[in-house]
Amino acid sequence: MMISKLRIKQSLSLKVLVTNIVFAIFIAAIIGIFVQNRVASTVINEKISISKVEAAGALYSAQRYFELARFKGDKELDKVIQDFIALSREDGFFSGRETVILPIPNLTKNQSIYQTVPTLLVLDSIPENFRKQVTKNEDVLNERISISYSDGKDFPGFIIGTKLNIPRSGTYEIYYLFKLDAQYQSIENITWTLVLTAFLLIILITISTKFVIRQVVSPVQAAASVAEKFTQGDFSSRMVVASNDELASLGNSFNEMAVSIQQQIYRLENLSMLQQRFVSDVSHELRTPLTTLRMAAEVIYQGKNSFDTSIARSSELLINQIDRFELLLSDLLEVSRFDAEAATIDLTTFNIVNLVKKTVDYLHPTKATKLIIDSPNESVPIQADERRIERILRNLVSNALDHSEGKNVIVRIAESDDEVAVSVRDFGLGFNEEDAPFLFDRFWRADPARARTRGGSGLGLSIALEDTKLHQGQLLAWGSPHQGAHFVLTLPKNHGSLVQSFPIALIPEDKLSTVEE
Amino acid sequence: MPLVMVVDDDQDLAEMLSIVLTSAGMEVDLVNHGDQVMDLFNSHTPDLVLLDVMLPGIDGIEVCKIIRESSMVPIVMLTAKGDTHDVVLGLEAGADDYMVKPFKPQELVARINTRLRRSTKVGSLSIFDLVIDQLEHKVLKDGKEIALTRLEFDLLATLAKEPGRVFTREALLSEVWGYQHAADTRLVNVHVQRLRSKIESDADNPEYVLTVRGVGYKAGSAKA
Repeated sequence: MMISKLRIKQSLSLKVLVTNIVFAIFIAAIIGIFVQNRVASTVINEKISISKVEAAGALYSAQRYFELARFKGDKELDKVIQDFIALSREDGFFSGRETVILPIPNLTKNQSIYQTVPTLLVLDSIPENFRKQVTKNEDVLNERISISYSDGKDFPGFIIGTKLNIPRSGTYEIYYLFKLDAQYQSIENITWTLVLTAFLLIILITISTKFVIRQVVSPVQAAASVAEKFTQGDFSSRMVVASNDELASLGNSFNEMAVSIQQQIYRLENLSMLQQRFVSDVSHELRTPLTTLRMAAEVIYQGKNSFDTSIARSSELLINQIDRFELLLSDLLEVSRFDAEAATIDLTTFNIVNLVKKTVDYLHPTKATKLIIDSPNESVPIQADERRIERILRNLVSNALDHSEGKNVIVRIAESDDEVAVSVRDFGLGFNEEDAPFLFDRFWRADPARARTRGGSGLGLSIALEDTKLHQGQLLAWGSPHQGAHFVLTLPKNHGSLVQSFPIALIPEDKLSTVEE
Repeated sequence: MPLVMVVDDDQDLAEMLSIVLTSAGMEVDLVNHGDQVMDLFNSHTPDLVLLDVMLPGIDGIEVCKIIRESSMVPIVMLTAKGDTHDVVLGLEAGADDYMVKPFKPQELVARINTRLRRSTKVGSLSIFDLVIDQLEHKVLKDGKEIALTRLEFDLLATLAKEPGRVFTREALLSEVWGYQHAADTRLVNVHVQRLRSKIESDADNPEYVLTVRGVGYKAGSAKA
């Protein structure tokens, strides 16, 4: 019940169909009952009025018959009445009229009962009350009754009764009984016809409703599916406009809207493409002069022993800044690649423990700060883009070394069935809670006034996050002022699956234990 | 003194390159325009060509193809775009190696020296019916000489030298190209394809240079 209600609510066509059928049934029922009533009463009343006329004629001829009748004694009277009854049966054969002549007790000598079907008609069919009224009244009376026969059949009927005066014998009651069964049969037939008609009408309305729904709802459904395609990014989909009606104007408006949206999107896409192209072109165009610059600087640097100290130091600074410029340029190019969604992933299967060791060795040749690698396993194979993972690790480790203030940096590796996690923990400056949302922003610096020891590009963490997203991994950061930071990289072991569990918790273990204490 | 032909339209960069290469003990010919490369190439045959991809006139990739039609001289490309299909196009056109701008002069000199270095190993190697004559620097198949670039020859000789060993792409990059850090492995893939197209009867079903899936390459051990 609930489900069907829900379905009706959800489907416009079902709603229209059900409403129409309910209305059709309602109207068919009202009209049917009204027509049936009218037809029934008309048919019955018609028969009754015809019967009344017929009975009046019959009564008149009966009266005349008895006035003119010649008889002597009860025996001859009996014969006369018997003849009259036989005649009356012939007269009333077509209208199914029964004639009954009853003596009124105390008013007649003859107490015989005469009737057209002498044995079959049950005299109880003539109600006692009606008889009393007839005997008291001088008028012709009528009433609706049920006519019973001794073989058990009952018929709806109608009775007309009055007093009959037979000269020299007394006053009798005369009754004409009319059966209405033919009329009721007709009414029943008509009723069945009406029911059938109503049924056909409902079917017809259902079919026509379906047809109308197809004409009205189908274009609406088509519009909905086109709109859905549109939201899914297929901006070329349009509604088919084949007619000239309101639905066509809906289609036309929709298509106009689609064109305008498509143009807007195209314009914006073009704009951002131009911007990305510009960043990419600038980065590339800067490379040729930078190459010349670098070579010239190297040549000067190699000859620095023959210069005086200030020029020698300047050449060193020049080289350092060219390094930094180069890093900035390549990071900028990488960012523009992510913006253009042109970053591709080059999958291989490799041991991430080796990669972590390699990265740490590469970044940490001086051993100025202590770097500890903690891994429970010597080999953790992972399917990923090795170059990108190396870059994430390099960014995280160099960021930690940058902010460690000479204290230890701990790199941990842990794995679960489907994930591998690498965490980098430092005990340096850390960061405030309010800074956390900006940590991965481009060119964001915790403290703009703080001196930079390594001179990163400011894009490192932002690129690391993009690289992580490309692997459908998670890169999370925890930090506390002057208690250090904890970055946790969690990657699915197989590319394409999502991270379901975190082998290393974001809150570092040392902090967790103090909280518990 | 080895002669290096530098093809670059940026005058300052070309001059700087010539300063660096000259101080590394090389002779340098400068060409600014793609159209002029072949004239000079034919009259003054260089030992190595340093070629910028972006050139006015004929671009670097076209120049590379034209040189390869007549010569096996080592070609090193200079490109500003290390990640685009320019690199693959250049390698497929016949370049042996590429340098992404900006590069360090020491790195450039090292790369060029690797390409100029003649194989010092003497003797003859073979992969069943393929004979690799290291002295004459020739490869013979069915008694016929196959023309290989020096890099292709080095690649084949490296694989043939240790018949059982599977070489990773990184190992080949370090032994054949002289890279110290892992670089672009496409370099290996493209050159293996080129080598196969020259020596194999059917490059899709190689017999001499086999792929070991997920690891690298090795020399074939028996004819299938």
